[in-house]
Amino acid sequence: MTDAGAASGVTLPVRRRSGGRSRRWLLIACMLGPLLGFMVVFYAVPFAYLAQESFQSWDGEDEPKAEPTFDYYKKTFQSSRTSRALTRTFRISLVSTLIALVICYPVALLLIRAGPRLRSGMLLVIFISLAASLIVRNYGWLVVLADQGPLNALLVGLGFTSRGLRMVYSEGATIVALVHYVMPFMILPIYGALLRIPDSYSEASISLGAGPWTTLRKVVFPLSMPGVFGGTILSFAICMSAFVTPLMLGSPATAMMSQVAAEQLLVQQNFPWGSAIVTILTLATFAVVFAYGWVIRRVMKADV
Amino acid sequence: MFEDRGFQRVVATLGWTAMAVLVFPVILTIVVSFSGSQFIEFPPKSFSMDWYANIAKINKIGEATLLSLLVASLTGIFTVAMAIPAALAIARHAFPAKAMIVAFLLSPVAVPMIAIGIAILQFFVWTGLPFNWITLLVGHVVLTSAYPVRTIVASLTLSNPSLEEAAASLGASRWTVFRTVTLPQLTPGLISGFLFAFLISFDNYPISIFLVRSGVTTMPIEVFNYISQQLDPTPAAFSTIYIVIVSAIIVLVERRFGVISLSVRG
Repeated sequence: MTDAGAASGVTLPVRRRSGGRSRRWLLIACMLGPLLGFMVVFYAVPFAYLAQESFQSWDGEDEPKAEPTFDYYKKTFQSSRTSRALTRTFRISLVSTLIALVICYPVALLLIRAGPRLRSGMLLVIFISLAASLIVRNYGWLVVLADQGPLNALLVGLGFTSRGLRMVYSEGATIVALVHYVMPFMILPIYGALLRIPDSYSEASISLGAGPWTTLRKVVFPLSMPGVFGGTILSFAICMSAFVTPLMLGSPATAMMSQVAAEQLLVQQNFPWGSAIVTILTLATFAVVFAYGWVIRRVMKADV
Repeated sequence: MFEDRGFQRVVATLGWTAMAVLVFPVILTIVVSFSGSQFIEFPPKSFSMDWYANIAKINKIGEATLLSLLVASLTGIFTVAMAIPAALAIARHAFPAKAMIVAFLLSPVAVPMIAIGIAILQFFVWTGLPFNWITLLVGHVVLTSAYPVRTIVASLTLSNPSLEEAAASLGASRWTVFRTVTLPQLTPGLISGFLFAFLISFDNYPISIFLVRSGVTTMPIEVFNYISQQLDPTPAAFSTIYIVIVSAIIVLVERRFGVISLSVRG
C-alpha cells in the first residue's frame, strides 16, 4: 500500500490512486477494449458497409457500378410491394404494442397486489414464456388458430359460425402472436416501475377523496411512465423487426419489412436493394423511438 | 385503491385473462403433443406417444441441436467474459463519451435482427472470411452481448462499492479484491446475463438463416423447416421437451440466484 492518505494517518478508506492519469485511462481502455473492439469490427463496420452497399446500383451482373445512387431508396417507396410492407409493418407494430400495453398493465397491477408466493409463481410463468422458443410459441398459435383448432371448436360450439373460420396465415394471426411475444417485455418494466411507487401515494389520493380510477389515471399511471415507456419502446422495436412470426402466421400477402428484405437478399440476390430496405427499416425504427421519447419528455413532461 | 371492489374485479378479470392468454398456447402445445391424430386437432380424440418417437425424423435434428448447444454455450461464455470488464468500467469509472459508448453497446437490442444478419453476411463476403460455425458464433455474440452488459451493470449498481474500497485499503491487491469482493457481488447479473445470451442464441432464426452455409444448420432452422412442410404434431412434441427443460433450468437458477427480481430492477 503506497496510499498517501493511509500513510498520513487518515483512517477513512480513500480511493486508491496507484498510478497517474494515464495509467487509469489505460486500465479503462483494457476493460472496455475487448467488447468495444469486437463490436466495432463485427457490428459498426458491417453496418457501415451495409449502408454503403445500399447506394450501389445493380443490374443483375456480378460487379456493381461505381456511381453511388439513391435508386433503391426511391424504388422502395415506389414499389407497391415494399411501400405497402412498410406501412403494414408500422400498422402491425403500433396495434400490437397498444394491445399489449392494455392487457399487460392489469397484469403488472396484479403483480404488485399479489402475495409473495403468487407473485413469484406469476413471474416464473412470465419468465418461462419469455424463455420458450419463439418458434415454439408461434407453433402454439398455429395450433390455437388452426381450422380444426380449439378456438374454432369454441366458436362453432357457441353457435357464432356453422363451420370453422380461416384464422391462420393472416395479419390478425400475426398481431395475436406478436402481442403474445412482447407481453413479458411489457409486463416486466411496468411491474418494475410500479414497485418503486410508495403505497402511501395512492393511499393519500384515496383518502383525499379520489376514486380508484382517478387515482390510477392521475397518480399511479403517470408515476409508472418510465416502465410504460421502456415496455412500449422495446415492444415496438421487436414488432418492427419481426421476421419469424409473420413468416409462420402470415402469408406472402401480409409480408412485413424484414420479409421483403430477406426476399431481395436470399431469393433475388439483389444485395443493394435488400440493404436499402433494412437501412430504411432500421432508421424508421430509430426515428419512432426518438420521436416517441421526445414527445413523452417534452409534451407530457414525464421523466423517463 | 384495491379496496374498491369494482376496481379490483375489473383489474383481476383483465389481468387473469392476459395471464391465461400467455400460458394458453404453451398448455395447448403440450396437450396436442400427446394426440393420436395426424393433424392438429383439439380436443384430441385419441392418445399416442408416436410424435415423440417421430422427433428423430426431423431432418438432422440431433446434429443441429448439438451445434445450437455449442454455439449458444460459447456465445454465453464469450459475451459474459467480455461484458464483465466492460460493465465494471461502465459502473465504476467515468470516461469520455461514456453515454455514447454505452448507447452503442446496448443498441443491438433495438436493431432489426435480420439487419444484423445481413450486415455480418456481407462483411464476411467482403473480407473473404470463411463461412463456418464460427461465423454463426460471431453473429450471435453481436446480437446478445448487450444483455450481460445490462444485467452485470445492474448487479454492480445494486452492490456496494465501498466494500471494494475497504478491501483495497486493508491491503488486498486489485486481483484479490476482484476475486473475493467484486465477483460474488456480480454473480446474479453474470448468471442471468449468461442465461439471456444462451437462450437468445439457442432460439435464434433470423440471424442464423443468413450465416449458415454448406451443410451447417441449427435447431431452430430445422424445426422451422419441418413446421413449414408438415402439419403433424411432431413439433408439438419437440416443443414440449424444450419447454420442460427450459422451465426446469429457470426454476433452478431462480431458486439459487434470484435472477428474476434482478431483471425486473435492471
